[in-house]
Amino acid sequence: MKITALRENLLKPLQVVSSVVERRQQSPILANTLVSVVGNQMTLTGTDLEVEMVAKAEVQSDEDGDITLPARKLMDLCKSLPEGANITIQIEEERAVIRSGRSRFTLALLPAAEFPNIEPVDEALSFKLTQAQLKQLFDQTQFAMAQQDVRYYLNGLMFEVTANAVTCVATDGHRLAFCRIAADTGVSEDRQVIIPRKGIIELSRLLESSDDPVEIQISNNHIRVVLSHVTFTSKLIDGKFPDYQQVIPADPDKELVCSRDALLQAFNRISVLSNEKFRGMRIQLEPNLIRASVNNPEQEEAEEEIEVNYDSEGFEIGFNIGYFMDALSVIKTEEVSVHLKDSNHSCLVKGVNDDASKYVIMPMRL
Amino acid sequence: MGYSESSSLPRSKINLLYTDKSNLLNQNNLMPNSSASTTRKILHVDMDAFYASIEEREDPSLKGKPVVVGGSEQGRGVVSAANYAARKFGIHSAMPMMQAKRRCAHLICLRVNMPLYAQVSQQIRDIFYRYTPLVQPLALDEAFLDVTASEKLFGSAEHIGQCIRDAIKDELDLVASVGVAPSKFVAKIASDVRKPGGFVVVDHEQVQAFLDPLPVSRIWGAGKVTVALFERMGIKTIGQLRRQSEVWLHSHLGKFGEHLWRLANGIDDRDVVTDGQAKSISHETTFAEDLTDKDQLEAWLLHLTEQVAWRLRKHELKGKTVNLKLRYHDFKTITRSKSLIEPTDNTDKLWQLTRQLFLNNWSAANPIRLIGMGVSGLHKHGELADLSEQADLFEQPVDPRIDQLADNINARFGASTLQRGRSKNK
Repeated sequence: MKITALRENLLKPLQVVSSVVERRQQSPILANTLVSVVGNQMTLTGTDLEVEMVAKAEVQSDEDGDITLPARKLMDLCKSLPEGANITIQIEEERAVIRSGRSRFTLALLPAAEFPNIEPVDEALSFKLTQAQLKQLFDQTQFAMAQQDVRYYLNGLMFEVTANAVTCVATDGHRLAFCRIAADTGVSEDRQVIIPRKGIIELSRLLESSDDPVEIQISNNHIRVVLSHVTFTSKLIDGKFPDYQQVIPADPDKELVCSRDALLQAFNRISVLSNEKFRGMRIQLEPNLIRASVNNPEQEEAEEEIEVNYDSEGFEIGFNIGYFMDALSVIKTEEVSVHLKDSNHSCLVKGVNDDASKYVIMPMRL
Repeated sequence: MGYSESSSLPRSKINLLYTDKSNLLNQNNLMPNSSASTTRKILHVDMDAFYASIEEREDPSLKGKPVVVGGSEQGRGVVSAANYAARKFGIHSAMPMMQAKRRCAHLICLRVNMPLYAQVSQQIRDIFYRYTPLVQPLALDEAFLDVTASEKLFGSAEHIGQCIRDAIKDELDLVASVGVAPSKFVAKIASDVRKPGGFVVVDHEQVQAFLDPLPVSRIWGAGKVTVALFERMGIKTIGQLRRQSEVWLHSHLGKFGEHLWRLANGIDDRDVVTDGQAKSISHETTFAEDLTDKDQLEAWLLHLTEQVAWRLRKHELKGKTVNLKLRYHDFKTITRSKSLIEPTDNTDKLWQLTRQLFLNNWSAANPIRLIGMGVSGLHKHGELADLSEQADLFEQPVDPRIDQLADNINARFGASTLQRGRSKNK
């Protein structure tokens, strides 16, 4: 089999599939990408057995066939060739010879039959969103996902679909991010699944703020997201996500409103001197003023006074400053509101007049 | 059920020829109960037919009759322990019950009563503590004691050994075998050579004469495979092994070979490690029959986790890293570990991590021979005061009272009175 393609046509799909190929694999075949050629279409597949990416590329080929090639090496070769280069891939017995201009590379290959197949996603619940909608859901929440937490069901994003809304929630137990958008999904039954962290991170990289449709299929064990050139499939985390409704405070009695930018910039400045490990920040609330302060083990200190609208009683509360900055960074409105109860209860941060996204942060005892 | 050895023993680098002062000072600083300069006195106390003897004691009509404790006579039950009368019929632990029954028609088969054995084990340990705080339990029925410093108070190590053996006999009506030697390795062999009711003292000068004629299989750690290898090389006794060069052994068995050679030469500087100074605390158990059933394995693992967590709490330690050990039917052994963000002594937290590690490494296709769990990254409670307290959305602040309550009940009524709801004895 002899395949010819333009560098630009190969590079993007190769980058997509390589993104899920782990640098250290359980078996050699997982370092490879499955290359299937039918007519003028090449389909590339990469997997780590949890997440699978399938991308398509335009090529010319003298025959149809399937083979696997080292994914990262092939991508790095394509990347290092000059723009506009023509690349030919000649498949021989046990190797592939890649030629472009005066360069020649020989890659080892493995038979396509050895390539692991993710189970087909059948009997799936299926619905459509726009890329922009899915991107919004992910961008607003994914930063709060846990990483290697014992509570394995937190190491991913909760994805919930009902007939007229889609909701994403992420939490590491210390803070929680919630985003719900209205969408006529038309699904007949509500579904709640947990998508693993790695899948979310790789998938969000592919999403753009466009109105292009995205098809989402959810089966018992998998979720599949079909974009125009890429199909993403991920195993689901088998577990029960905590009841997020219960931890979003319903009756915080104190509300503080202020400029998002002013608050974020102030926190940004003082965070320089916060304890790098615990990142504790003390907030003193007074009528129409908050005083935020941090210190570190070197006894260095930072303090900011920020004008706010606040007319309840004054008190003091501690937070991880990083959690606050994460939430403020994704809030889009000019003004934010912070709802509080007392120094032992969580606070709710959200954009003023924006109920789509909500952020809950647990306090720290300082 | 064994307390894991390998992970918790500090490997001393000093050998007997090294006596320069700086090195000794270091050694003493690192390991306060080490005494490389003087001869140590180590006891190994090993109960004879422990489970079966307790049963005989509880029901004197069983005395002299062949008795085993173990699983049911039907199905895959196996012998956990056999008394000496039963052993005369060739019955030994790990033998299927049905086979044992065939060998001896009037065999008396009893179910394992673990809470009782654990309670007795604690009583035995309390006797040890009368003579030394340096007690390293290896299992319910055996322990090492370092009595070097106790000789001034209670008389010679030999005398202490006799007192302990007599106390066990008088107070608990049970028989122990005792080995007294300058090292753990020799003490363990010494307690074993004249079982039951053995009492063997090996002085520093006699170590080599004692070891040399023994078969290599007596060496702690030399299993079937290693012994077979030695046999092919014509090495049958410890004396023959000793006369091989260390380098030669290293080339065949690597570091393990060097270790065996040192043991064969009576060199064993390993200290008696009590829980309080351990670098890790672990429990493991070898199954009489390889297990594949996930639920059964999980139940065992939970049981081990409860014991480890209990020992952590007893010694006011918190651990950060959970280690899982699995030995498969083909002796392939893997260890996997995972760390918590903050050290804990909470059984539930440790169990969540342990279970996760287990599920990641379990497969129905690989029967498991040995399972173990341990906790390392240990901190004394006081060392942790610095950590700030980040509240959690979902966790009720962990209520230490649950573990405390279970510990108190178990301390009073035997180690397994109160367990989490998942029983391995289904």
